[in-house]
Amino acid sequence: MKIIFKIWRQDSPAEEGMLKTYEVDDLTEDMSILEALDHLNELLVLRDEKVIAFEYDCREGICGQCGIFINGRAHGPHDQITTCQLHLRSFNDGDTVVIEPWRAASFPVLKDLIVDRSAFDRIIESGAYISSKTGSAPEANAILIAKEVSDTAMDAAACIGCGACVATCKNSSAALFTSAKINHLNSLPQGESEAHKRVIEMTSQMEAEGFGSCTFTGACEVECPESISIVNIAEMNARIIKAKIFG
Amino acid sequence: MAINQHFFRKTIIAGSGLFLCVFLVVHLSANLILVLPAAIARGLYNSYSTVLRESLFIQIIAYLLYASILLHVIYALLITLKNRKAKPQKYALNHYKQNSTWTSQNMGFLGTMILLFIVVHLANFWARIKLGLGAPVGLDAAGYQDVYEITNSLFHNIYFVCFYTLMAIPLGFHLHHGFKSAFKTLGFYHKKGLRIIANVALWYALIIGIGFGIIPFIVYFK
Amino acid sequence: MKLDAKIPEGRLEDKWRNYQLKSQLINPANKKKLNIIVVGSGLAGAGAAATLAELGYDVKCFCYQDSARRAHSVAAQGGINAAKNYQHDGDSVYRMFHDTLKGGDFRSREANTYRLAELSSPLIDHFVQQGVPFAREYGGTLVNRSFGGVQVQRTFYARGQTGQQLLLAAYSQLYKMVKAKKVVMYPRSEMLDLVVINGKAKGIIVRDLVSGQLKRFAADAVVLATGGYSRVFRLSTLAIGCNGSALWKAHKKGAFFAAPSFTQIHPTALPQSSEAQSKLTLMSESLRNDGRIWVPQQQDDTRNANAIPDAERDYYLERKYPSFGNLAPRDIASRAAKERIDAGFGVGKLKNAVYLDFQHAIKKFGLDSIKDRYGNLFDMYHKITGIDAYQQPMMISPAAHFSMGGLWVDYELMTTIPGLYAIGECNFSDHGANRLGANSLLQASIDGYFILPNTINNYLATESKAPSYTCDHPEFEQTEREVQSHIKKILAINGSRTVDHFHRALGKIMWQECAMSRNKTGLEKAIEEIKDIKTAFWNDVKVTGASNELNTELEKALRLADFIELAQLMCKDALDREESCGAHFREEFQTHDGEALRKDDEYGYVSAWEYNDGHFKLHKEALEFEFVQPTVRSYK
Repeated sequence: MKIIFKIWRQDSPAEEGMLKTYEVDDLTEDMSILEALDHLNELLVLRDEKVIAFEYDCREGICGQCGIFINGRAHGPHDQITTCQLHLRSFNDGDTVVIEPWRAASFPVLKDLIVDRSAFDRIIESGAYISSKTGSAPEANAILIAKEVSDTAMDAAACIGCGACVATCKNSSAALFTSAKINHLNSLPQGESEAHKRVIEMTSQMEAEGFGSCTFTGACEVECPESISIVNIAEMNARIIKAKIFG
Repeated sequence: MAINQHFFRKTIIAGSGLFLCVFLVVHLSANLILVLPAAIARGLYNSYSTVLRESLFIQIIAYLLYASILLHVIYALLITLKNRKAKPQKYALNHYKQNSTWTSQNMGFLGTMILLFIVVHLANFWARIKLGLGAPVGLDAAGYQDVYEITNSLFHNIYFVCFYTLMAIPLGFHLHHGFKSAFKTLGFYHKKGLRIIANVALWYALIIGIGFGIIPFIVYFK
Repeated sequence: MKLDAKIPEGRLEDKWRNYQLKSQLINPANKKKLNIIVVGSGLAGAGAAATLAELGYDVKCFCYQDSARRAHSVAAQGGINAAKNYQHDGDSVYRMFHDTLKGGDFRSREANTYRLAELSSPLIDHFVQQGVPFAREYGGTLVNRSFGGVQVQRTFYARGQTGQQLLLAAYSQLYKMVKAKKVVMYPRSEMLDLVVINGKAKGIIVRDLVSGQLKRFAADAVVLATGGYSRVFRLSTLAIGCNGSALWKAHKKGAFFAAPSFTQIHPTALPQSSEAQSKLTLMSESLRNDGRIWVPQQQDDTRNANAIPDAERDYYLERKYPSFGNLAPRDIASRAAKERIDAGFGVGKLKNAVYLDFQHAIKKFGLDSIKDRYGNLFDMYHKITGIDAYQQPMMISPAAHFSMGGLWVDYELMTTIPGLYAIGECNFSDHGANRLGANSLLQASIDGYFILPNTINNYLATESKAPSYTCDHPEFEQTEREVQSHIKKILAINGSRTVDHFHRALGKIMWQECAMSRNKTGLEKAIEEIKDIKTAFWNDVKVTGASNELNTELEKALRLADFIELAQLMCKDALDREESCGAHFREEFQTHDGEALRKDDEYGYVSAWEYNDGHFKLHKEALEFEFVQPTVRSYK
């Protein structure tokens, strides 16, 4: 199988980047897109060229590290998958595949396809935790949590932090990421006592990082590998109002 | 207020937007008078517009309306500028239509069209009636300002008819996304409720869009 | 050197308490002055870093990923065991301890294993308090399920993403302490060597993976929480970045490596489909509850699976293990699959898989019921293979998974280098020769949250009086120079083959000779072949790019260089252990019906290897079973 890759090459944050074309012939359709890039990198090494820097780790759709923009879509042409779950069988022999890094002011390109997503860590740092120390927990069944509450919290908690929501959003909004974490913790009784503080601090940090604002295009929930619903953002807004009034 | 600026601005946009949505309903209902036979329509329309002009309540509402439009536009502009800064580099290839509607991606463009329309619309009516610019407005048989005549003559000009009708299209699309989105911005997150709102938004946008779009034609051919 | 595991005295259930009573404490004002380095930010590392910071220590935490949240603990699906006995089914700390010890085929310490079970209950309390959305009953209490061949229900879970949820809780807690300025987090930073001063661990050399700069970090104690090393097989269920380098560098600096060859092979992964494949995705073991495993009775049968009539299928697990059938433990199921595949009955394009068939279950319980139970797994299978498993059987194959082996640690989790600790998967402590399902998240968390924070003080209490060193110490300079020249050397080779080329070659040998079943000839051959790979690697590898930039190829090369040496030790360990136990199956040592033949008298010890200039010296820590008599596992 042959694929013509057009891949963003950029040596460092300061330098200009550009799309470069690579034709690769000996691919098979059961290769994942990352394996195809592995293969291309081996060819590049043998041609005495620098390898394409791209990110991945678990390669089973859960670590969230492997985000790239493939043929005009975050994580490639399918809805709700990660890059590592995309296989060449989704393309035709001879297709051109354009690969770009996530684009967002808050995700600066470090090299080629690798961006810096530490803004997400700083949003978490600003309040996505429950302030109890190790060793201080009450007996696990002492606080009952209704199944529906726990299930809804889990829906939001499933976020893998890949950044596809920001990448696909025309405003580079991190609202889906931030709201998922806020709703996970704020909907549980353990997270309640810090709920107002959490929502204000996390959303403020989100803004301080330079992410745009949500205009509900809905692209994020389509590209989210964990199918996190955009309704989370609405819920976050409700929590902001609540925090402003009662906080 | 630096804190939660996004939320503050979006809330203003959503709030003013919804207020304008309500206004459009009233405006459209009043405009339906125009499709009635000329004899009835003239009197009804002119007395209606006079009542509007003279009511203190409506005057307050009118100022709210101006404020809403201004706030809606200014904050949308501010947000758009900031959002552009958040994505300084665009993708070489972006198939965004596979994950979202064209409308939702182009609210700014649609909004600009509507703004353009409003300017023309205000020049046609508001400037003449309120500011007294242009040809003076005549009186009808009952002694009311003949606003009906202004409308009638305007909608017998094919260029204006086309302009008013075409401009109802971006309005409909803008409303369809804006109506749904406003509720989410204002923190309405009930899942079933949001599905209902999505349906309402569609019908609302269709009715307002087609309503405003078709009236000029009806008047033209009347 | 005699290995002292420092097991506290007393009855099994009193040991941990007795230890804590006697361990030295440090007053809060002094804790602030003590620095601790934690390498790795998975469940063990993040848990330890957060807890140590809460206690008042100054902590630096390093990970090679772009964020602590990516650590491979994230991928554990099934759950976490705890002896809560919420299900009222006769569970207890003792039963859990016994299951774990027996599951490990009696190759772990009683005291450690007991402590694991003992601390499991407060750990669940802890995670619930941190906001982990565990599965709940309608009434609001926690749900349990059974897992991996135990007779009670003690596994807590959060959908199929338990590892992710626990890791995110630990990551949150870690960042809480980052905000409190008690932890400094260094992502995209890989430890390349350990600095030992006067026999004690005093710091590390780290490569900043973005700038390529080498950096020195000094501390009063160093904690390794770097996970498993099954990527030595190249194809494994691990993340691509998982590596054994930190362990290996520590080993070369004097830390003994225990039971390196004990590697668990997971029976239900997706098979390799091409040379280029980089990863074997795990499918949850729970599939074996309803799926039936079979291969065609005829070799090289190329018919479509559905076209092979029942009479011509070999349901080999049901045939060989009538009482456990498809639910036989991991090592047995894996070995049986390999045996069939090696005998030429494998299916799939590369003839390297067996069928896992749901047709019977679908007929019996209905399609909806199977969808309800395994829908997400069938979807995942479809995403990866493009095959609809409701229509035709899945193809599965064994894959390298968990490393029971790791740095030797005593009861305090300290390695043989004073001040160097190893926690989580990277140590050898609780699982013996085989790990039970849902025990890995448990061990990682307990080590990090509960044990280390209560043992490290015992060392630091004396260390706080000793002089502390800065990064200017000659030993730092020397170590950094060595790392520098190691990197330079690799870059200078400029040969003709890629890093992956050598990794594939190494993986093939290890998979063939040092995985599910091993024998003397094979292992000896493997040792020779690995030697050749090593020579070839150091003469012919090609790495492009420079050292002072983000260079993923260089990262891979550095890791592989260590894997090659580690592989040698794994084979040596497997060769040395002339018995079969748990995941270590030596073909020469099996009963007449093909089961593992353990030799407690001769091999009832933990092998701990000392590195000495390219040679390995074996030390033995005898395992004494005071409380439980070792028995023979039987799953017939």
